[in-house]
Amino acid sequence: MSELNKDTNPLDDALKNALRREDAPDGFAERVLARAAQQESVPRKKEWAPWPGMWSQPLLRWGAFAAVTAALVVGAVHYRHVERERAQGEEAKQQLMLALRIAGSKLQLAKAKVNEINQPATDGQPSLKRPSITQSRSRS
Amino acid sequence: MPERPADHPRNTAGTDFADVVRRHQSMVYSIAQHFLADRPAAEELAQDVFLQLHATLAKLKSEEHVKFWLRKVTAHRCVDYQRRRRLPQVSLEDAPEPATEAQTSDPLVAKRLRQLVASLPEKQRMVVILRYQEDMMPEDIADVLTMPVATVKSHLQRALAMLREKVTRVLGEVAI
Repeated sequence: MSELNKDTNPLDDALKNALRREDAPDGFAERVLARAAQQESVPRKKEWAPWPGMWSQPLLRWGAFAAVTAALVVGAVHYRHVERERAQGEEAKQQLMLALRIAGSKLQLAKAKVNEINQPATDGQPSLKRPSITQSRSRS
Repeated sequence: MPERPADHPRNTAGTDFADVVRRHQSMVYSIAQHFLADRPAAEELAQDVFLQLHATLAKLKSEEHVKFWLRKVTAHRCVDYQRRRRLPQVSLEDAPEPATEAQTSDPLVAKRLRQLVASLPEKQRMVVILRYQEDMMPEDIADVLTMPVATVKSHLQRALAMLREKVTRVLGEVAI
């Protein structure tokens, strides 16, 4: 500022003189106090605390914490239950597939046996197979 | 001693709100008046500053803290108010030519100088007001306006250069 003061002294003085504090208008303080009192008398809408203020209440904070914890526990239990059911379903499916495979192989076996019995006798043994219509016609 | 309303807040140093208003009303009103050059707007703004203080006073630690807070809030509100309302700045070209006696009459020179200050850009204007009305050092102005000290000095130098040029043009060298 010393640099400024060196060459602006007359202007400095003029500015100090021009920008002197002025008195506030008459009754200013009373009007401010009246407005402040009016502001206080109006019932505050702060029954419901604003968002950040809400968390400053310990009861609400603990309540929220308990609710979140409970929700997490219930969610985890439900998830495990669903997972278990899914695993059981998968196991049942595997068993069914196994049973079907066994049944299929048994059927194959039975079919093979039947086919074996129905084979025309090549070693002199009678065949149980009934002669077809075309065969009986050609014989006659 | 007049009875004080019991429900007015006090700061942590025990200062009563009504006392604070009476002690600082001139400072707050003058900053607003010199910045806005509009008395009703300045009064409204100054009242709003004190109402904001009413809600904050209990958190302020000392008289100095209250004064700093008031200057800071007033300065920022002035700038916001002007931006919001887009108040027309007093332009030098619009100002009428000075009468001959203006060069020798201090009140008229002061009035013209206030008009010239009101024609400065917002930040320069506030820096000049805090420097010459409140007699604050650039370091303190920097704290109040939340800007670097170098910026405050630069604003001040530019404002003074501009004012010097305008003063010379409008009032002539004789005036100051």
